[in-house]
Amino acid sequence: MNMFLQELKAYQKPTIIWSISIVAIVILFMALFPAFSRDADEFMKVLEGFPEELTRAIGLTFETLTNVLGYFSYAFLYIKLCGAVQAMNLGLSIVSKETRNKTAEFLFTKPVTRTQVLTSKLLAAVTSLLFTNLLFLFSVIVTVEIVKTADYSRQGLWMIAASLFFLQLIFLGLGMFTAVFIPRVKSVISVSLGLVFAFFIVGMISSSTDDEGLRYLTPFNYVNDYYIIEHLNYEMQYIGIGLAIICLTVILSFVIYRKKDIHSV
Amino acid sequence: MNVIEINHLTKVYGKSRGISDVSFQVKEGEIFGFIGPNGAGKSTTIRLLLSLIYPTSGNATIFGKDVVKYASEITKEIGYLPSEVFYYNNMKVKDLLKYSASFYKKDCTKRIKELAEIMELDLTKKIDDLSLGNKKKVGIVQGLLHEPKLIILDEPTSGLDPLMQQRFFDLLEKENQKGATILFSSHILSEVQRLCDRVAIIKEGKIVQVEKIRTLKENNYKKFKLETISELDFNYFKVDGVNQLKIVGKTVSFIFKGNINTITEKIANIEIANLWVEEPDLEEIFMHFYQREE
Repeated sequence: MNMFLQELKAYQKPTIIWSISIVAIVILFMALFPAFSRDADEFMKVLEGFPEELTRAIGLTFETLTNVLGYFSYAFLYIKLCGAVQAMNLGLSIVSKETRNKTAEFLFTKPVTRTQVLTSKLLAAVTSLLFTNLLFLFSVIVTVEIVKTADYSRQGLWMIAASLFFLQLIFLGLGMFTAVFIPRVKSVISVSLGLVFAFFIVGMISSSTDDEGLRYLTPFNYVNDYYIIEHLNYEMQYIGIGLAIICLTVILSFVIYRKKDIHSV
Repeated sequence: MNVIEINHLTKVYGKSRGISDVSFQVKEGEIFGFIGPNGAGKSTTIRLLLSLIYPTSGNATIFGKDVVKYASEITKEIGYLPSEVFYYNNMKVKDLLKYSASFYKKDCTKRIKELAEIMELDLTKKIDDLSLGNKKKVGIVQGLLHEPKLIILDEPTSGLDPLMQQRFFDLLEKENQKGATILFSSHILSEVQRLCDRVAIIKEGKIVQVEKIRTLKENNYKKFKLETISELDFNYFKVDGVNQLKIVGKTVSFIFKGNINTITEKIANIEIANLWVEEPDLEEIFMHFYQREE
């Protein structure tokens, strides 16, 4: 418990900053919706001139864009990117912290097992992400209610917005795994930004080409917002893969972490 | 009873040396010195004992329990002071010590105050703002606040001024009298000689010798260097106990171990221009050990 609280406190500030940033993106995007829906027709004409691959890659689909839900799912692509960076960063940072700050000798010579240490870190990270997601959900519901022009599917909105947490758990797992796998993480932000953007670009390519095989490779596309809008359901095979990645990265992290040599500075 | 038992402990690193086939025992209530030059494997051995790293082969027990299997249980009774101390920089000294104490199921508040007073440590400062010596003090308080039965020190005196070193040694002696066993690693012979009962000497990852300090002192290594008036027969100083004998022109140098009178007699019988008698440094004693082994 003491380690959990310690980690939570250590990541309090970055978590609040990330949460505020994500809420700010939500507010910014949704504030533009009234203006956007007013000029929707003209905007559509501009868009039609764009190649279809491009509009698909950046998450624009004409049929849904004029609806507040469709518009939100367009904005959600960039919120996902932001959330993924947060989660990956958190996972990498919280696990590699002791070796980066050279405090490993302090912590690992205390009467605790490595499993206890990593469990505390994992729980603290998940709690931080939960906090971000609660703020995010709240801001989404409020802003969408304010700017909506017509009725929309509440369930659809919930289902899309809730998938941020799912995506973040995947990237948290990937971040943790990367941190135990790489012997010495020197700069957290460069590693996490690099990996997240790589996945994001694969996601854009996958969206624009509709390549099913490629879609398995990028957590960004495990939840398809347009599929949810149409079917009010997740695509279970992709949810399954996401869950498998979470379990696998977390379990492997524990296995490696327990056996790892903690090298001196 | 042996508090620490190390049996054929070996750790192979990719490139660097590690340790090979290290064995020694530390008895309950003793202050055991662990001495060797930098990079000899002192820290590696200690890190193996603390399960920070895991052995390639061999094993070690503390309080009769395997260090790998029961690490989290054993560490309840261990206080450890690393050679370089690093803590969470944005924390205050007080908070760090409280956090450290929270791992042990004891109330350590009084003890923290006591130790901080002895070591003259300001508890209200941020770790970030502390000098090297003061960080070391935090390390000392942090290592001793739970009154451990085994204290492991890895080159503990670096960064401490002589006065603080003195206080720290007094503190250790007090803990020892109360029953704590101490493993004291250092590359400074005089430090170890002062404090320890027995000493293990390690070089290049291997234990060269485990000896009682008393024996080391009785051995009384001295480094002689003298200038003679006339050139000397090479065999003149070839007596028992003389090692590393070197004669360059009129300068003679050697390390001597044994009854000092035999050498002073020898010197009295020749005409000398100058004479230096010094304590050999550790490196030279090691050389001696090596030569004897070969």
